[in-house]
Amino acid sequence: MSLPDPSFLVIQFLSGLTAAMFLFLIASGLSLIFGVLRVLNFAHGSLYMLGAYLTYGVVAWLANTPGRFWVAALGGSIGVALIGGIIERTLLRRLYGREALYQLLFTYALVLIISDAAKLLWGTGQLSVSRPPILGGSVPVFDQVFPRYNIFVILLGPAIALLFWFVLHRTRAGRIIRAAALDREMLGVLGVNVDRLYTAVFIIGAWLAGLGGALVTPVVTIVPGMDVEVIVNAFIVVVIGGLGSFWGALLGALALGQVMSFGILILPRFSLVFVYVLMAVVLVMRPWGLLGKPLRG
Amino acid sequence: MRRVPWGLFALVAAGLLPLAGSRFYLYLGTDIAIMALFAVSLNLLLGYTGLISFGQAAYFGIGAYTCALLMVRAEIPFIPSLLAGGLLGAAAAFLFGSFCIRLTQIYFAMLTLAFAQIVWAAAFKWNSLTGGDTGLTGVPFPGFLDSPVRFYYFTLAVVGISLGLLRRVVGSPFGRMLVTIRENPERAEFIGVHVRRYELAAFVIAGFFSGIAGGLFGVFNHSVFPDFSYWTKSAEVLIMTILGGMYTFLGPAVGAGILLSLNMLVTSYTEYWPLVLGLILAALLFLFPGGVMGFLETRLRRRRHSEARGA
Amino acid sequence: MRGVRFLGVIVALTFLVVGTLSAPGLAQQKPIRVGFPIILSGGGALFGQPALTGAQMLVKEVNDKGGVLGRTLELVVRDSKGTPEEATRASRELVLKEGADFLVGGLTSAEGIAISAVAKEQKVIYIAAIPKTTTMTEPGKLHPYVFRAAANSLTEGRSGAVFMAKLPVTKIYTIGPDYEYGQVVTRAFADWLKKLKPEAQIVGQGWPKLGEQDYTPFITTAMAAKPEAVFSTLWGGHFVTFAKQAKPYGFFEKVRVVTAGEGGSPETAMALKDDLPLGLISNSYDVFYYDPVPAHREYVARLKKFTNQEYANSWASTGYIAMQFLVEAIRKAGSTDTDKVIKALEGLTIDSPIGKQTMRAKDHQATRGQFWGTTAKVPEYPFPIMRPVEYIPADDLMD
Repeated sequence: MSLPDPSFLVIQFLSGLTAAMFLFLIASGLSLIFGVLRVLNFAHGSLYMLGAYLTYGVVAWLANTPGRFWVAALGGSIGVALIGGIIERTLLRRLYGREALYQLLFTYALVLIISDAAKLLWGTGQLSVSRPPILGGSVPVFDQVFPRYNIFVILLGPAIALLFWFVLHRTRAGRIIRAAALDREMLGVLGVNVDRLYTAVFIIGAWLAGLGGALVTPVVTIVPGMDVEVIVNAFIVVVIGGLGSFWGALLGALALGQVMSFGILILPRFSLVFVYVLMAVVLVMRPWGLLGKPLRG
Repeated sequence: MRRVPWGLFALVAAGLLPLAGSRFYLYLGTDIAIMALFAVSLNLLLGYTGLISFGQAAYFGIGAYTCALLMVRAEIPFIPSLLAGGLLGAAAAFLFGSFCIRLTQIYFAMLTLAFAQIVWAAAFKWNSLTGGDTGLTGVPFPGFLDSPVRFYYFTLAVVGISLGLLRRVVGSPFGRMLVTIRENPERAEFIGVHVRRYELAAFVIAGFFSGIAGGLFGVFNHSVFPDFSYWTKSAEVLIMTILGGMYTFLGPAVGAGILLSLNMLVTSYTEYWPLVLGLILAALLFLFPGGVMGFLETRLRRRRHSEARGA
Repeated sequence: MRGVRFLGVIVALTFLVVGTLSAPGLAQQKPIRVGFPIILSGGGALFGQPALTGAQMLVKEVNDKGGVLGRTLELVVRDSKGTPEEATRASRELVLKEGADFLVGGLTSAEGIAISAVAKEQKVIYIAAIPKTTTMTEPGKLHPYVFRAAANSLTEGRSGAVFMAKLPVTKIYTIGPDYEYGQVVTRAFADWLKKLKPEAQIVGQGWPKLGEQDYTPFITTAMAAKPEAVFSTLWGGHFVTFAKQAKPYGFFEKVRVVTAGEGGSPETAMALKDDLPLGLISNSYDVFYYDPVPAHREYVARLKKFTNQEYANSWASTGYIAMQFLVEAIRKAGSTDTDKVIKALEGLTIDSPIGKQTMRAKDHQATRGQFWGTTAKVPEYPFPIMRPVEYIPADDLMD
């Protein structure tokens, strides 16, 4: 294999970063929810899908209004956050005393319910949202081009990460969240309203998933089935990064994004197997991932 | 008090099914019997040892492919092929299990999932061996079982024997040790039990019987597809196990019956089966904490207690 | 523990009772029941739903005119969920419990194969409406009960080659999903192209996995190989995703693209609207804006009315035509007896909405071609359509 053109490699790297940012948005919420609530939210992909559908709905409703994409993305993600909050408060909460398996099974039931709800509301056809006009087109990178929207996504990822860094490490609420990931019972003893904490964390996680779904609409098709397609990748990311670790999700997403991007140069037709092999290797060699902490007991 | 051979009784009752004269229920019954074996084998890990396997479908698929390949390509008779399916399932379980049992809880589950997905992906891509995504087709009922009734009885026999063996396993000192490990693995370690060896053994036994179930399923369907190892299959059998009741031996079998019958009923009434099934699943989760069997057991126990008190 | 035995008895008794009750009753002028397993949820539903609609419309039309042989036609539908196991289970249920005399439908190739196995087992006719895999009808796998009304992957690839050969290009890159369909269509394309234009060469091949969400690594790799044209077998939502991701790279300006997999269908155009690349050569099972025969215009009008949609769905034609074959065959045979209908189906020519279609006797495949054309913006519609467009028959492209 001849040495590829360096500008081509740069573009591959940037594509990997774009994919990583989308993965980060969905995986970070999953990791956060697992870290604090100890619930592996199988329905996270469904929340992502809802974010996409809601965004499409708002964009269609706002027809020719300028800036409708941004309104839709914001509205869509907040909508998903609210739905997540309602689910947590009314339903999931009742299962906390039970085995973890029951909560997982419940989230699986949610996947079924949400997928049909989306089918009822938006049908089975393929739907598409265009890139927002100010981020259309592409910019030259060496002697190639790279889409503007992707650059926005690449910049947004770290921005969100920075926002969360600030919240998690510089605010009281963030400290409580981090503490909850380490020792929930202690928090209750210290007088923290654990119920409200759980709801808040679930809402934040849902918001991240919804945001991911909203922002991905200009680059993919909105079809039934996008919920389960994305959840397995999300699992791989949180495994690599460390279940429960927010920053692990970022690292895991970056790793998986680049693996997928360069994988097609090295192992062109084995990407299907390779991502699972990677997942298995990480679990065998370092089960708690890059930044996770070994579970106690 | 002597133990009533309730399982045997249910088996005999199931044996009367063909008298109903409906071939459809024969097929449904075969399907339930196969999935019952699959679910009970999973429960050896889940309910008895406390190991959550997200990837049991790996051994199911391996058993299915092995049995079908031997029958179709090597023209080996059914029974040896079926046994080979179970053995290869056990071998794969040994290989994967050796890695998995070093992990705990969610990590264990994730690794089982990863291995199952690898099996799926390999089956999907390995066109020359497995036929790829269009599957391995043309697997006939073996000559001596060339009617649905005969295949049903054969399946009942195999499943019955397998369940009987599994019952022996869980009732044996080995089985009781598994429960001890489930309750408190650290204490078991303290009293000198090689926890990992027991877990691996359970994993291999479960893999064997999952492979047998897979082999039966492949012949039953006349074709084997990579889907047999996809995570949705693992999820399906997990739901059957939990819903039926993971703390009783036959709970998962009941779960298989319920889920397959429910699926048939719901899909014949509406195309929105995910919504209906999801709601029913959620309702069952909230209403029956120990699964259906757990619920029934508590009820019966309560009635017996109140009877004892009342009398 | 006694509860278990109790339950076991209840379960067995329930089966006994229900089984006895569902024994077939007296057969009077009962309706002709056709089992229709198709994907109605998840990934394939976007094709399955309209295929079902097309079948339902045919059934309604037939019944409105007095049915078949004086009996009403009845469609019994099941969601095959996109897995071959469910397709098998549903097909068996349709035949054995619902009393279906025939099976029509199926979507993915794996489903087609699974349903075909049930058809063989139960000795019931199965007409595949959408599955394209040639393995269903190839020698050694073909059995008397399976028929295909759909196009097949061989003719699709070869049609693509016909169009590629007409372009002034010799360096071609292929990109397609890495599974049987993508592999077979691409190989058929490459082999036929070699025949038509020996100087053409395949400079590289991209094989994203089925359901890939991020095509950008493949897009950039394809462009790095500097082809003059690209042949793609990405279909449905996958093609839409690919097109959206490739557009900002100027992909469609740099290379001519010929894409199979119904990328030129009105549904794809309606989804993408301005994001649909223009000058794209692609195909579609049906187009509402071009009539190959006069009957097509009336069909489109009926479909619009039946579905209450402004633009008739192209996938409805698959279900409609498959059912048409069945109905015509039953009429020709004068009976619903399976062997007689098989004889009637073999060599049967029908007047379908897209023109004459013949079910070949030698391999039970219909000469189903597709509409091929080049996408262009037009003032009449708010989305691009294929213009020029023509119906390419499959007769000369089949083995």
